[in-house]
Amino acid sequence: MEPELRDYVGELLDSGTVAGVLALKDELGAVKPYLFTKNNEIGDLVLTSKYPLASVMSMLQKEDPSIKLAIVCRGCDERALIELAKRNQINLDNIVFVGIPCDEEMADKCNCLQPYPKEIVTGEKLSNWVPKNNYEDFKNMSTEEKLIFWKGQLEKCNKCYGCRNACPLCFCSDCELENALWVKHGRLPPEFPIYHVIRAFHLAGKCVGCGECENACPVGIPLMTLNHLLREDIKDLFGYMTGQDIEDENPINTKEEY
Amino acid sequence: MTEEFKPKIVGFLCNWCCYAGADMAGTSRMKYPSNIRIIRVMCSSRINTEMIIKAFQTGADAVFIGGCHFGDCHYVDGNYRTKKRIDVLKRLLSHMGIEQERLRLEWVSAAEGEKFSKTMAEFTDTITSLGPSPLREIKEEAI
Repeated sequence: MEPELRDYVGELLDSGTVAGVLALKDELGAVKPYLFTKNNEIGDLVLTSKYPLASVMSMLQKEDPSIKLAIVCRGCDERALIELAKRNQINLDNIVFVGIPCDEEMADKCNCLQPYPKEIVTGEKLSNWVPKNNYEDFKNMSTEEKLIFWKGQLEKCNKCYGCRNACPLCFCSDCELENALWVKHGRLPPEFPIYHVIRAFHLAGKCVGCGECENACPVGIPLMTLNHLLREDIKDLFGYMTGQDIEDENPINTKEEY
Repeated sequence: MTEEFKPKIVGFLCNWCCYAGADMAGTSRMKYPSNIRIIRVMCSSRINTEMIIKAFQTGADAVFIGGCHFGDCHYVDGNYRTKKRIDVLKRLLSHMGIEQERLRLEWVSAAEGEKFSKTMAEFTDTITSLGPSPLREIKEEAI
């Protein structure tokens, strides 16, 4: 998969279609996001490990809105870019998607609903993929059990804001989570459950299921459980899936009846 | 010795319909339980998640939201937005382990004083049978 992708990316750079390619670079065995601008660097381009490149892309575009860049993106990166474009955070006209599918191990780890972008440059997409874990254990709990579960989980929170900072869709400059009116300053753990309810609700109809919040959480709160259930609810209530088409508006923000 | 449980209900009422409806109930001398603490807002779509959760966290057993009927919103489409938000928030509350019956959205027009008093009586009964809010206990533990 990697050699073909390197060839493809090299051609994009050579032909001058794009000024740079945003991807992951191997450095001493670890990966970091990197903007490849020269063909001779491309040997360091790697695909494994996952990184929220969508937020890096929006940062780059804010620096120079006219620059045309390509991005090596997985399904979740592509969905995040589409969601960001809906909210005028980035300009998709200046982005070339270089789509890669996730393998089964990765899709399983993220419990991904759609582990592939719309168009794939190399590799094979997992057709008929259904996530194995549908959070049935959680759904079967009674109301009291759910409360006890979350009380225990959210007690661990040390309010590092890691979930918010890692999230590709959290772009507000003024964050409600920093507003002392809702989340008291200097109190650990934050009062149950306002911090996490605000975050989950603000991501309703926005979350692309990339799992970065859960990865970033230093105390291992199962944040994706909430996000996954809300994504299901939004689908159930409004028939809406995030990151599919730039024309689809978030149903919660529209005035139409449902 | 057990004290009788009297639920605390926070009501966010829209200025144009539900608040006027509550006023109507008052001026018509209709009786309704005094458990509701009314907060007037300009539109039901002004109410956000933060306000509702904050109400629960500061000791409310239930939250009532009153707005205009569809098509009657003073701001044309505010109540359509409210409806969607509250439906999603209800699901979120139930995932968090808070009974979704504790959050109620109702459309009451300025002329429906009777509907307001009936709704309040019914809602108070529902919450009395549900018991105190689980978040209230947590608040007491924290203090």
